[in-house]
Amino acid sequence: MQHSNFFDYKKYRYFKVAVVMILLAFATFLLFEPAVGHYGGSWVGYALGTISAGLVFWMAWYGIRKRRYRSSGTTQAWLSAHIYLGTALTFIATFHSGFHYGLNIHTVTYGLLMIVVISGFFGNYAYMIYPRLMTENMGEDNLDGLLLRIAEADKMARQIALMMPDDINNTVTRACRETSIGIGLLEQLRGFQPDCPTAMAVQELTALGHDLPVEQRKLYRDLYSLMVRRESLVKRARQDLMYRARMGFWLYFHVPFAIALIMAMVAHVLAVFFYW
Amino acid sequence: MINCLLIKLSHSSRGVLTRSYRTLTSEEITIGRGAECAIHLLDPRLSMHHAVIKRMDDGKIHLVAINGELAVDGVVQKNIELSHGTLVSIGPYQIKVEPAPPDVDIAVSLMLLQRLPDDFQDLKLRTHEPLRGAASFKRRMALWMAAFIALVFIALPLAQNLITSLNQTMAQFPLGFDRVWSPGHVSNAHLHFGSQCFNCHEKLTEQVNDKACVKCHQNTADHIADPALQKRVFNSSGRLSDGMRCAECHREHKAPHPLAKQDNNNCVKCHADIKAVDSKSTLPNVKDFDRSHPEFKLSFIREYAEQPDTTRIDRIPQSTSASVAEQSGLKFPHSQHVGLVQGPNGVMDIRELNCSDCHRGQGKEMRIQAVEFKRDCQSCHANQLQLGLGEKTFSVPHGDEETVMNALIAKAPKDKLRYATSLKENGCAYCHEVLPAKQDDSVPWRVKKVTINQDWFSKAEFNHASHRTQKCEACHQVAQSESSHDVAMPDRKNCLRCHSGNSPKPKRIASSCMSCHSFHNAHLAAPK
Repeated sequence: MQHSNFFDYKKYRYFKVAVVMILLAFATFLLFEPAVGHYGGSWVGYALGTISAGLVFWMAWYGIRKRRYRSSGTTQAWLSAHIYLGTALTFIATFHSGFHYGLNIHTVTYGLLMIVVISGFFGNYAYMIYPRLMTENMGEDNLDGLLLRIAEADKMARQIALMMPDDINNTVTRACRETSIGIGLLEQLRGFQPDCPTAMAVQELTALGHDLPVEQRKLYRDLYSLMVRRESLVKRARQDLMYRARMGFWLYFHVPFAIALIMAMVAHVLAVFFYW
Repeated sequence: MINCLLIKLSHSSRGVLTRSYRTLTSEEITIGRGAECAIHLLDPRLSMHHAVIKRMDDGKIHLVAINGELAVDGVVQKNIELSHGTLVSIGPYQIKVEPAPPDVDIAVSLMLLQRLPDDFQDLKLRTHEPLRGAASFKRRMALWMAAFIALVFIALPLAQNLITSLNQTMAQFPLGFDRVWSPGHVSNAHLHFGSQCFNCHEKLTEQVNDKACVKCHQNTADHIADPALQKRVFNSSGRLSDGMRCAECHREHKAPHPLAKQDNNNCVKCHADIKAVDSKSTLPNVKDFDRSHPEFKLSFIREYAEQPDTTRIDRIPQSTSASVAEQSGLKFPHSQHVGLVQGPNGVMDIRELNCSDCHRGQGKEMRIQAVEFKRDCQSCHANQLQLGLGEKTFSVPHGDEETVMNALIAKAPKDKLRYATSLKENGCAYCHEVLPAKQDDSVPWRVKKVTINQDWFSKAEFNHASHRTQKCEACHQVAQSESSHDVAMPDRKNCLRCHSGNSPKPKRIASSCMSCHSFHNAHLAAPK
């Protein structure tokens, strides 16, 4: 257990701030209901909307700030605030909307905000879960270390297979030559390959090992155990890639949609004041 | 037997091509990975017994595939004749038939073309970085999305507003580009033109002007009769944020909420302290129907020169009972017209009268019509117009005095004065107030003009239809009324039994100003 992370930073300081903000917004929402029902253009609506817009810009500033080396305050504090106030922002923006949705820029903006926040939640989850799983998977190794060990196993397997019949040799060669790790986004996110040549080779070897002459039996056993070891190494490498891909993938949504959100927010505000 | 010269070509570590020569003599020369092969090549890409060089039946030397593949110029072949210059790919190696020295049958050179790659480097090539190209992908995605949003939600709607010809083109379509700016549903009444924003939003960055509303709503009147006062009160910017536009009360894009604002705030802004708005006003202050509302005033039609004049209205508070007496010109005790009453034929004719037998509601709001002789009175009171005895009985029509006199002259010329007196004292006077004739009058009597007040609460709008679950007596207590001077209109307390003010109370309905009063034409309210 870490001593302090971005969740319980300064004894949940920003969690408390977020809760207070949500409660205040909710109380305002309940107390001041315009005669025509809640809507973003009432005075309460404008207030909540302005706060939301301010929060969005502040959240975006976190993204710029963390890419700089010169900064104020610790990154942990900023991240903690980014997460908790971002959650509060979701509530405040919802109260601002007055639960009115339609086919217009206003709902597009709201939808983009929701995509950004939900992808942020996933990122949050990823950073909570995957670093530990990565350590469990890799131990002291790194990916290059794993690849080196796989290559070593390849060399040995191939050398043994040179003595073996054609079908076994072909199977081993194909496994060594064709096994790929994390080719394509989908495979990286899934973390496994359904028709992995190494896994297939292990299965084929089991079938091919039956009618071998006695003098090749020992070689075959060595080869088989080598290939099994290779399979587990490949699996671990794929897992490692999967964790790293998943830890980065949510940013595919979080960052571009945040930029789209800012553009949509500009359009949303312009639309309100153009047709005032 | 084949005598074959094998020339192995290889590159030394310095890159110099070296040749090694070997002569093989055998019936068949096998090539493969197997130790028993004559040309033994240790490469996993070759089969155990890949191919064989042998002499065919016609005496020519061929290269024949056993378990592996042979290719000439990329085309896989099973059996290749080895003649001078033939190039064959066998796995990663290349075999070339060289000019043979005289002592051998054939000379071939063998060279490794594709070196077995380094395992680690090879594997690294097949291992991709996580989320390769993520940064540029994200950048492009962000740019495209932002550009799309800027185009669809800013540029196109704005262009439609700024370029007149584009606006005219878009006007032919059901929706304009600026439809995406609409913040909510347009109310049902405005739906038929509401999908084209420019119908109301005439100018960019300006609030919807009243002129846009008046294009259709031409006959909607002001709140105050005096135009100067109307202008001063509603266009002053201090009291109401920016003057009084139609849209202050009529909020569009809020469907299914009603288009007209229903709360009291805007009314109370002025009416809570009406003197502050108009120091000469005689209106009382009002904040809420329950807590702060004056007692009702009744609108009386005043008499002028002994005849009622509908243009002169007196508004008298209900509590000043001394002056609350109706002068309709009719003599009508309600007490005798409720429940079981004696009909025109005496004891033989007992009938039951309900309120609605004489007071008939009309239209959607069930406005009560004025009583009419033919419809509401005649069935019982026809004999009041009968004159004469026995077989000489005749009737005069129910109409003005001249018509009645003409009928008398026609039907009983001799007794016309006697009958006229009878009508004056009994017939007409049974129901009407009769006045003595003036000098030089053509008729000997005059009936006072009947004026039935149909709008006692002329400043409010009462809807009988929405109260039809109630009994008439709940508000109009007439069963004990002996005189037609009695006014049986309910007072505020009566309303408060079921209605509360702006906020609902237990078992009482919340009622705002708009529940009874209308904003437009408020000053015009008067009996019709």
